[in-house]
Order: sequence, then structure tokens, then C-alpha cells
Amino acid sequence: MPDSRRVSGPVGLRIRERRKAMRITQVDLARRAGISASYLNLIEADRRAIGGALLQRIADALDLEVDALDGMAERRLVERLGELVFDPALRRLNIEPASATRLVSRHPDWATALLTLARERRDLQQYAVALTDRLERDPVLARAVHQVLNHVASVRSTTEILDTVPDLTEDQRGRFVDIILSESGALSELAQMLVVELEAGTRGPRSLSPADEVDDLFMEARSHFPVLEDEAGRIRRELGLGDRPGTGELAARLEARTGITVVRQSPLEADLRNFRNMCHLDSATGRLAILDNAPPETRRFQITRLLVAREAQEAIADLVAQDVLTTPEARTRATRALVSYLASALLFDYEAFLADAVRYRYDIELLRQRHSGSFEQICQRLVSLRRPGAEGVPFALLRADPSGHVSKRLPIPGMPLPGPGGGCPLWPLFTAFQTPDRLIRQLAEFPGGARFLFVARTVRHDPPNFRSAPFLRTIMLACDIVHADRTVYAEGLDLAATSLATPVGPGCRLCPREGCQQRGEDSALPAARTDAGNVPVAAAFR
Amino acid sequence: MATQVLIAEDEPNIVELLTFLLERAGCRTSAVFDGAKALEQLRAAPPDVLVLDLMLPGCDGYEVLKTVRGDPRLSGLRVIMLTAKGQEKDRRLAESLGVDAFITKPFSNRDLVDCVTRLGAAGARAG
Repeated sequence: MPDSRRVSGPVGLRIRERRKAMRITQVDLARRAGISASYLNLIEADRRAIGGALLQRIADALDLEVDALDGMAERRLVERLGELVFDPALRRLNIEPASATRLVSRHPDWATALLTLARERRDLQQYAVALTDRLERDPVLARAVHQVLNHVASVRSTTEILDTVPDLTEDQRGRFVDIILSESGALSELAQMLVVELEAGTRGPRSLSPADEVDDLFMEARSHFPVLEDEAGRIRRELGLGDRPGTGELAARLEARTGITVVRQSPLEADLRNFRNMCHLDSATGRLAILDNAPPETRRFQITRLLVAREAQEAIADLVAQDVLTTPEARTRATRALVSYLASALLFDYEAFLADAVRYRYDIELLRQRHSGSFEQICQRLVSLRRPGAEGVPFALLRADPSGHVSKRLPIPGMPLPGPGGGCPLWPLFTAFQTPDRLIRQLAEFPGGARFLFVARTVRHDPPNFRSAPFLRTIMLACDIVHADRTVYAEGLDLAATSLATPVGPGCRLCPREGCQQRGEDSALPAARTDAGNVPVAAAFR
Repeated sequence: MATQVLIAEDEPNIVELLTFLLERAGCRTSAVFDGAKALEQLRAAPPDVLVLDLMLPGCDGYEVLKTVRGDPRLSGLRVIMLTAKGQEKDRRLAESLGVDAFITKPFSNRDLVDCVTRLGAAGARAG
């Protein structure tokens, strides 16, 4: 019996491999999944993307979890390993990005180990950079950073030996693994020492890993947390809230349950350093101050966040205790994200919201009016509609600021996310800044042929006063082309006409397209492998 | 004739790795863990190439380099500074003292081995 968790390659190939391993004919599997054999043939050849209920039926027929079949976790691992290729320290090794797929499929544990070390190294580099100005003055820190670099040098050199020297004896290999272990241990101790030193002085630099870890948490959950959906139902029942509770009702419940009162505050009188998402909880006075310039949807959402954070502490703490979150900062970020999820689940009841989404064909404006949510709140709720048996269209969500920084990433299988060095300037996630407040839709095709419908627009944060400027961000939803016709945004588009799709990429450094007029920097992919139709490159973008 | 390399480095794991890499590339190596020992060894049995850590206990890498460049008996010695202090001012100081190559940690194995063998070969031609 084959291992039920490890099936390598893209979805179609996985289905075919598993079906053959189980000695089931194509006709038989097609019958069990309720589709024609010719359609299954297209799926197995990766010429039709699948997801949702059909993927579930095929997974059931093959006695597999859906995750094992669509390989989302593995794909994420491949993407992250692929990014390592562009690390200046490794660039000269000329590692072929597509080889990450082979490493992950053959040695997933080693791939994870490599990534873990790379993350530790990246974090320590961040520390080192941020500490530079303190080094001149602080001999303790100077010595510590010097030692960090020595340990990093050992880890890097040993890793290169393990990677590039084929004829090591078992003893030598064991000795080199020991070196990595002892150096990693020393690095961890030094990192802890540095944290203590930093906390004693100025605030330490933020690590990049916590955001990645929270991404992983949401990806593993497929952006859907049944426990929190249940909690939302429980809180709604216990507090006697309706399907669409209003701000006054929520503020009254907050006060009754926690003694916290909600007050408005002028931005002129507020110490804005204490405010996050336009509100600030003063624990001493028991007052939640919300800025006057906060829109009504924000006001309602922030009151709900505080309410659910108090009502579902245990459920959230359980979710945050997962292994994927390794640092206190990652757990803090995850707590914030899960509290927002729960607030969203409470404000936008799953069944009612899904029914409206289907009825309105995912028209965000209609859903906003119906459910009194902001553009971002509605998009975020749409992404979470992944309950097995009652799924909406699977959407990815991205949020960007005017610098191009992508500050929120909720992925879907098969869609490349912006890579190192930024995203593709052709995505409406970035072009929407050119036409504020207007919704942009785009049929986009990636190298390798995967096609998606992108929908994006700016959201505006009003300035607190005359002296400040409004702040814009963009929100983008993306869905696989196979689901696009379930949405209002596909109306009038010829989804079958590949020539009409905008050729996009994951970002210039990872994009093989030659002759793109929007190219901002050279592709880091090896030139010989950028020929159209070349299999390794196409495979790297599946 | 194999290139003779003296490694002056106080981190035992780095010494072990450099020894493995350089001997694999055909060099013959010996190692010392502080600056004073480095000078002693250099005078007793001058190598072709010295791989010199900057932050050595006691007499640091700059001191060793300065002494080496002032000693006519070591005029053919090629010196590679291998250091975690990679700022421009450190590099400039090392160059002003007569270093042949300056490599920062973390280093690429290939770069380091290439540098040692290149300098070793150049020394052999000059000698």
C-alpha cells in the first residue's frame, strides 16, 4: 500500500499515480467521482484545474486527504525554497529553481530543515543589520554579532560541503551534521542573548518569519477555521445577537460582559502612537477609544474584535498553540489575525453570507450594502468560505501598499504569489493605484499557462485632519479561471480565449517572459531555460 | 608541489572545515589558534599562504599582518584575511597593510579554495 500522504507532482499527476497504485481504471474512478472518463483524462493530464467538491470526491474515491492531493503545503515549500536560489549567498551555486520540486518530493524533511536554517539565518541577518549602529558603541553586542557571523560561516560552509561533495564517508557526513547541530545550537543561544540585550535597550528589529508563519497557519487551514465558526455561533446565541448585529448593540454587549465602554476621540486630542486600526483600549480606564475619522464599518469591526477576543480566549489560545507558530511575535500576530477572523465570522454569518454571495454572484458592492462591511472585510470573509460541503468560490486575497509591499497574503493552490524583489507590475493589485476607487478586473495568464481572474481596487483611509494625506491600499481577490463564471466579474469576458488574457508573472526576478515592456529588472532565471515551451520553466510555475 | 597553508583562526569548527576543503583541493595545512602562535609558526616553517582571521585572541590579525610585512624573510608569503568584520574601513586598513585578499564570513567554499590555490600558484611562479 503506498504512503497516503506522499504523492509527488502536480494534482493531475498525483491523481494518476495514486489511481494506478490502487489499480483503479480511469473509467472506474470517473464513475465514482461522478464525471466522464474523458474529463478525468483531462484532469489527470493537468489540462483542467479542479478544486472544491469534485476534488473532495476524487480524494474520497482515492482514500486520500484533499491536502495530500492538491499538495498545497508542498507547493508552498517549493516556492519558499525557490526563493532561496536568489539569496546572494547561494546565487553563485547556480541552483536550478525547478529542482526545488524534486527536493521537496524526494526529501521533504531535508527541504524543511534547509528552509528552517535559512529562516534562522535570515532572521539573524536582520538582527545584524539593525544592530550596526549600536555596534560601535556596544562591545558586548559587537562580540556577539561577530560570533553570529562565525557560526553562520560554519553552517554555510558545512551545508555547501554536504550539498556539493558527493564522496563523503559516513563518518565525515556524521561529523558535518554534528557541526551544523552544534553551530545551530550556538546560534540559538546567541540569538536569545541578543534579544535580551536588545530588549534592554532599543526595541529589537522585527523578524520576517512571524508573518510567514501566520501565512502558513492560514494556508494549512485553507483560510477556514471551523472552531471559530462554531465559536461565532455560540457567542451570537449566548449574547442574543441577530444575524447582522449593529454597532450600538455590540457596544452594549461589550459593556455588559466586560465593563468596557466605547468612546469617540478626536485625532487632534489622541496620542496616535497608541492607536492601532484607529482604536486604543486603555486598560486603566476600561475605555475603548475609537477615532472620529474611523468609518462606521471599522467602528463596528473593532468593537466586535474586542468582544470576541474576550469571549473566545480559550479557542483562540488553542489555535495559537500550534507548532507552526514558533516565536512569541508569530503567536501575537496569529492571535490578532484569528481575532479578526472570529469578528468577521460573528458579523457575517456563514450560511447567510454564503447564500448572499452565491445569489449576488460574489458582487462585493452588493455584499457590502447587504452586510454593512468594508471592502476589505467583505473580501476577507469571501476567502474564508471554505467549509467542506458548503464551499464558496476559492479566492486568494492580497493587500498591497503604495510602496509595493504586500502586507496580506492568503493563497490558493496553483497561484504564484509575489516573489522576492516584489510582484508583477501588471497585476491589478498594483495598477489599481492608478485609478483610485475603481474596481479593476483582469484575466491573467502565468508562464506555464495557469489562468486566474483578478479583481482589485483601492481602499482609502481618510486623513485625521487637514495636515495629513489620505492613505491608499489595494485589495485584490483572485480565483482560478474554472470558477470565474460563477462570479459577476466574468460577465462579458471570453474566458476561453487565451489570447485575451494578460500575460503576467510572479514578479520580474522570477519571470521568464522575454520582451515584457513592464520589466523592471532582469530575470534571475537562467537564460538558457527561458525558452517558450521549455519544460523546467513551465513546471516551476505550475 | 602542494601549496602549504597556515590557518590562523580561533574557531575550531572553521579550522576543521578549512582543513577539509583545502586538503581536498591538494593543499597541505597546519593550524594555530592565536596571533602569537601564528608568528612563531610562520618563522619556524614559512608556508606559501596564510589564512588569517582578524579577531584573533592576543595579537590580532592586523598586528600579525603588520609584523609579517615588516619581515624580509616572509616577503613571499601570501596573506588572505578571513573575517567577520566586513566593513569598508576594515578592508581598506587590511589593504593598506599589504593583504593579498580579503574574504568576509560567511564565505563561499569555492571562492575561498579558488583564492588559496590561485595565490599559492602565483607565489610558486614568483618564487
